[in-house]
Amino acid sequence: MSLKYITPAERFKKYLPKDYVELVDYGPFGKTQEEAGPGNMGQFKELMEEHPMCSGCWMAYYIRLIFASLPCPEETVTLGTAGCGRLAISQAAVPFIYGNYGDQNAMASGLTRAFRLRFPDKTKDVITIAGDGGTMDIGFSMTMHSWIRGEKFTTIMLDNEVYGNTGGQSSGMSPQGVILKMAPMGKDFGKMPATALAQAAGCVYTVRMSPTNIKKAAKIIRRAIFVAREVGPTFIHAYTSCNIEYSIPTEDVFQDAKDKEKTRFQFEEYMTDEAKAVIERVEEEEKTARKAKKAASKAEVN
Amino acid sequence: MYYVAKVNSDMCAEYKCNTCTLYCPEANTLMFDKDGNTSWVDEDRCKGCALCVYVCTDMLDRNCITMEMAGHED
Repeated sequence: MSLKYITPAERFKKYLPKDYVELVDYGPFGKTQEEAGPGNMGQFKELMEEHPMCSGCWMAYYIRLIFASLPCPEETVTLGTAGCGRLAISQAAVPFIYGNYGDQNAMASGLTRAFRLRFPDKTKDVITIAGDGGTMDIGFSMTMHSWIRGEKFTTIMLDNEVYGNTGGQSSGMSPQGVILKMAPMGKDFGKMPATALAQAAGCVYTVRMSPTNIKKAAKIIRRAIFVAREVGPTFIHAYTSCNIEYSIPTEDVFQDAKDKEKTRFQFEEYMTDEAKAVIERVEEEEKTARKAKKAASKAEVN
Repeated sequence: MYYVAKVNSDMCAEYKCNTCTLYCPEANTLMFDKDGNTSWVDEDRCKGCALCVYVCTDMLDRNCITMEMAGHED
């Protein structure tokens, strides 16, 4: 999908659904992060439309943030698997591919390779967004192997520490001692060390975080995508609480995310030297582009 | 019968702030009106989670957003 592909002919516009036309006119397609990025959320038509996720869901918020911070939404493909996340991801105006449970990274491997052959002149971003079950439990082997092969795409794990979509069974990422279905006496063992596994498997950029600072969270998502374009697999492990299964009152969801940032989800960023070079280069380019634009607008005013 | 968020636009317009719009989990629901310099809620889409109330009241101490009964006019 490209910007040219989604833009309708002027005379057909009146026959198209209003939502679609608004998305092309006021959406983030072909715009910069200053015009339609996370800092301006609520001032442009978003890629994600209505979604059926629970009231006050922190995962829905993080998915909204992911779509707002995509560097090039018209050239992006997302992949997902069963779980709460895909309820929202599949309804966004970005192509979404839905596979069997847990095989999102295997599909993404093939898709990235195909894109590089089919569109050698374009930069296509492939992002897999799946829950903790899809990434670390049932899709574990496929996730690990895609990293070991060094496939160039971004993996985002929405860790709600429970199988929220099927009624609250404990997952490999649930913390030790927590009482959930299938763990009525408290879970016996602790969380899987997801970021350490990713580093051991060859991810060049891994982050563990709780998305409370919007600017920081957006920067991490963009960094992961930029590095995946050139160097190798990248991984983001984000805390997106399940307020239903963990019985968090909706108005306390944000406070809970802040608390977890101090305990289990302390910010941790790992990058290789190659990844660091890419990040520094891209962010320097963005900075100069911003400065040039500012100077141009100033000159226009004067 | 359910609650939705309501923005007191006069109070909200006093601040140069659109922080609540950054933290709503629903897309295209809590919007920012640049001309009026105020946030506003699309009541048909609001699920009533009160996250924006936490942001406006507990975090920023501005108390511009309250939860009110949907469709209730006084």
